[in-house]
Amino acid sequence: MTAIALPRLRTPSPLLLGGIVLAVVVAACLVGTVVTPYDPTAFAVRARLQPPSALHLFGTDEFGRDVFSRVLAGGYLSLATGFGAMVISLALGVPLGLLAAFHKGVVQEAIMRGVDLMISLPPILLGLLILAVTPPGLLKTIAAVGLVYVPILVRLTRAVALGLLEEEFVQAARARGEGAVPILWYEILPNAWPPIIVECGLRITFAILLGSALSFLGLGPQPPASEWGLMIADGRGFLAQAPWLCLAPGLCLCMLLVSVNLVGEGLRERLDPHSSGRGGHA
Amino acid sequence: MLDSGLTNATTARQGLVVETLSVAFPSRAGWLQALDAVSLEIPPGGVLGLVGESGSGKSTVLLALLGLLPESARLGAERLAWGGHDLLRDAASQRGRRLGMVFQDTAAALNPALTVGAQLAEPMRVHTGLLPRQAWARGVELLAETGLPRPQEVMWGYPHQLSGGMKQRVGIAIALAAEPDLLLLDEPTTALDVTIEAQILALLDQLRASRGLSMLLVSHNLGIVDRLCDRVSVLYAGRVAETGPAGAVLRRSEHPYTRGLLAALPRPDRSHVGRLAPIPGGLPDLTLPDPGCNFRPRCPFAEPGCEQPQSLAGSAHRVACHRAEAIAGQPWPVDTTPVASPSAPSVAGPVVEAEGLSVSFRSGGWLARTLGRGRSVQAVDGVSLQVYPGEVVGLVGESGCGKSTLGRLLLRLIPAEAGTLRFAGRTVGSRPNLGFRRRAQIVFQNPDTSLNPRQTVATILGRAVRWFEMVEPHAIPAEIDRLLDLVQLPRRYAGRFPHQLSGGEKQRVGIARALASKPDFLVCDEAVSALDVSVQAAVLNLLRDLRDKLGVAFLFISHDIGVIAHIADRVIVMFHGRVMEQGRTASVLHPPYHPYTELLLSSVPLVGKPHIAIPAPVTRPPAEPGGCKFAARCPRHLGPICDTTPPPWQLAEAGHGILCHIPVADLAAVPHWLARSEDGPTR
Repeated sequence: MTAIALPRLRTPSPLLLGGIVLAVVVAACLVGTVVTPYDPTAFAVRARLQPPSALHLFGTDEFGRDVFSRVLAGGYLSLATGFGAMVISLALGVPLGLLAAFHKGVVQEAIMRGVDLMISLPPILLGLLILAVTPPGLLKTIAAVGLVYVPILVRLTRAVALGLLEEEFVQAARARGEGAVPILWYEILPNAWPPIIVECGLRITFAILLGSALSFLGLGPQPPASEWGLMIADGRGFLAQAPWLCLAPGLCLCMLLVSVNLVGEGLRERLDPHSSGRGGHA
Repeated sequence: MLDSGLTNATTARQGLVVETLSVAFPSRAGWLQALDAVSLEIPPGGVLGLVGESGSGKSTVLLALLGLLPESARLGAERLAWGGHDLLRDAASQRGRRLGMVFQDTAAALNPALTVGAQLAEPMRVHTGLLPRQAWARGVELLAETGLPRPQEVMWGYPHQLSGGMKQRVGIAIALAAEPDLLLLDEPTTALDVTIEAQILALLDQLRASRGLSMLLVSHNLGIVDRLCDRVSVLYAGRVAETGPAGAVLRRSEHPYTRGLLAALPRPDRSHVGRLAPIPGGLPDLTLPDPGCNFRPRCPFAEPGCEQPQSLAGSAHRVACHRAEAIAGQPWPVDTTPVASPSAPSVAGPVVEAEGLSVSFRSGGWLARTLGRGRSVQAVDGVSLQVYPGEVVGLVGESGCGKSTLGRLLLRLIPAEAGTLRFAGRTVGSRPNLGFRRRAQIVFQNPDTSLNPRQTVATILGRAVRWFEMVEPHAIPAEIDRLLDLVQLPRRYAGRFPHQLSGGEKQRVGIARALASKPDFLVCDEAVSALDVSVQAAVLNLLRDLRDKLGVAFLFISHDIGVIAHIADRVIVMFHGRVMEQGRTASVLHPPYHPYTELLLSSVPLVGKPHIAIPAPVTRPPAEPGGCKFAARCPRHLGPICDTTPPPWQLAEAGHGILCHIPVADLAAVPHWLARSEDGPTR
């Protein structure tokens, strides 16, 4: 019997592809905070609403500002909102979810009912509640968006952990007399990461969109800041004459979101111990 | 017309013909040759047993017959036909119709969202075009035929309302719905208790007689194959090693693999004698098929000539081994490591002493409970037991009898509602200290879930060593090596992940983890049940050696009486949370025994065990709370006293007690369960 090696599909790994795109976007946004081709806030009334050209890569807006420069200069706001909010949701959601799974009874009820309360409010409303009482600011936007997604991570983490807590390797740890912290840290968390990472990829995208929506409502960064959501909001009025005003930040946002999701998916695969090959099967 | 009728009749007489069936699956390492020129034959009305361990290709044969192999598989055969119908070209029109299929896991094979009636009527509507009303009526008949009480009610029921045995009866009824003439049975009783298994086997036997069904029984259990089949084919790594009449293959086995399987099997009638003979090594790499005998690397009789291709030789009883005749007289080599005589019963007190342990589980949410509607199940009901240092206590009983719960109560993994627990003379509270945790450990059933898939073997063992501070931090690697040596695993396995180990190796890691804290008491919860026979024997030997070497006391929980008889010094028989019988292994396996023990023992399928009629399942209204828990199922029910009065704990001899109203003398007057008084096993 001749063993024929299977033709392997040579597709670039999602981790690599997403990682490269993400790195380019992040680098461009960082550079954009320091230098841009034009001054992102300088008006040039004679060059208003110019379509994309060699001079103005993404065209100009109604005040003649260079859209490419504005996208570059404002990107860090979107990035900061997305990643910052994710870090906040993770930092609060994962420990709460683990605790709710481990301590059935009062602790669980308290956490989960609180979560229910937060979920019952529409995200925009929740963001509004947090932001409306104080003057807007980037850090507050990040905190607000991050809080909005805490309940989702609590629920996800709890669901994953509940399943894992029934496994025999957890019972073995209980039989050693280990308490909540070592069990959750060593036994549960390493196995709970994959779905959480994938969810985080999605949450970053939603967080950026929600951050943009809050800016749009006047609760995030304020003009003349060029946060991408804000730019889309401003460009809305010129959708027919100058679609590039919305398209440019929109496509950048899109690219960022796709690359973040690819990285999330790739990480999940990479972290799976089964992908490291079966050795010594006897 | 006449012609075609004649050919139909002759082809129908051919039964199942499988000639040189080969199946390969694509894998990372190339084509994996799951089946290699397998030939089988079942005459109409015949029952063939297909035996082999996991990975031998048993299930692949079934999938090939049903035409359900994945698209990517490479299938080749000279012939694959049932009753003259070519299954290679068109299996789809036959499956479910002339080929009925019964699955192992009935809980998964039945759709939980549909009534039994709907699932039973569906194949009839699809295949036989019956009207819904007719199909329903036929369904009731089928359920009655499979021995289900009150078939009308069952038709309206959902799978979760049925017990495991009832589900399997429904599964059989569904397989029979389209009036097939060949029944494919994939481990049909593996998920069931022995008593239920015996009933299902009796049902299959009866269906075969009444309907003239042919059957292909796929099983790893040689006992049930012996019970049900006329002919047996032994499959090893995708090839038929031996085939022939059941009696010849299983009792006068010629192929070394078959002989090895039988030698590795712990048997209750060879109680407590020495070590088992595991088959060394593991399955060959199927991506690089060996043209010669593929059992050669594991065979104790291998010699030059074995690397030549082996063909099945012989007439009725055929063996794929050129040395079959030469080795006929040679016994299978048994591990001759001297068995350290079980340490003399130490004068010290028991290491574990439980008194009246009880726990019940409530179902229903807090609302139902406050309204008094929650139901409560007494999982463990006033159990007292002692385990002495270096002793192996076996715990047997059907699933749901509270065996595992008792094991966890003894480790204080779940809190008891009543009763006391003493460990090495000291009372253990409901929140035990680390000292108790260190000295009382547990080994789990399922090697796949008992190890954290994201930790290496070194991490898994290191966590236990570090937690109990067994050695100085710098000495941890050396300690891990010592533990791996102890369970006979190579030291290089320290860097591996669980998925890179075989089932037996994983179980050894689980044992090493439990031993890391040098415990005095180990609960083995079905620790060998998920393993193949040849591997199970090796793990049983290991556990025994550990007992002899380290003096660890075991509570060995198992549903397999063969395993218990092999390893246990004393046996506890549990039923519905109560201890029914307790005593030295040899005493419990001989009359007098509790009627429940008797039922369990007579239900065990064993190769070469004379077939004795099993008492028909008894169903009586449940006893009153004070009565005997077994009264409702007892074949030797005395009368109202069993239902109303708590049975007395009678001593048959010192240390052998039976919880029953029937006088010991009457209990002793039953025949030995092997029903061979003249050469009954020696005590």
